[in-house]
Amino acid sequence: MIVIAPSSEITPDQIVRFLHSLGKNITIKETCYGAMIEGRKEDVQVAVREVRKLDPNRIYSKLRGFPVGDQRRCRALHGSRPGFTQLEKEWEMLSLIEKGLRAAEKNEKVAEKKKKGKLSVDDFKRIVKEVIG
Amino acid sequence: MPPNSLILFDLVERFGHEPLSAMKAIAERVTDLEIDSPPINVTSEDVKKGLKYAGIEVPSGIRGRLALWGPLIDEAEAAIVMEDAPYYFGCVGCHRTNEMVKYLLRKKGIPILEIPYPTNEEEAKLMVTKIKEFLEGLK
Repeated sequence: MIVIAPSSEITPDQIVRFLHSLGKNITIKETCYGAMIEGRKEDVQVAVREVRKLDPNRIYSKLRGFPVGDQRRCRALHGSRPGFTQLEKEWEMLSLIEKGLRAAEKNEKVAEKKKKGKLSVDDFKRIVKEVIG
Repeated sequence: MPPNSLILFDLVERFGHEPLSAMKAIAERVTDLEIDSPPINVTSEDVKKGLKYAGIEVPSGIRGRLALWGPLIDEAEAAIVMEDAPYYFGCVGCHRTNEMVKYLLRKKGIPILEIPYPTNEEEAKLMVTKIKEFLEGLK
């Protein structure tokens, strides 16, 4: 499963055309978020590696449990899409991850924020007194 | 963890490691011809596998999930755990299973990176740089 980050200017159509041009013996399906590919492991790995080069920090991939066009997951055939909410959430987050990858590339030092500690009982008592009077 | 995350799967693969995902375990089940009507069927083998990771008194939902995630934990050499993620991030769908998975990972004694779920740019940068450092340190 190939997912394009919302900040990318690459379209699923471009991805699919590029995948076809690789000439690998793989099944390709265009989707709203990118594409799905299926085939021999080696061919799929090469295809993913190559397609990522189009926009390295904004094209993501993961394995999919169900085969491409599986009736149990195909919306046209009333299949359910239980993972869609997560995919949507992660797709939204990809713009942030892209910035993270850029920072990692530059070996940018990112300061870790200190965790907020719990309010001490004495401070809490004081605040309660101040508020209630 | 969550074991079905696109972001975590991609980052692990991108930084040169093999991600162990729920999708791999699910793929084996939904394409196995021996299961009558996958993925609805749970085989007796799954039940036995689940019992290896959690006692009989543990709710069946947790045992069922652990039948999938358990063998992945056995296979794992390191783990990344995302903390405080919203409930729809990772459809493991069960907080108790998450707790149990974390317990099993700690019990195994493998290197674990626990990172908070990022909510802004700075946190995302911190998350990715930490994951990169962690994964490169494993090589």
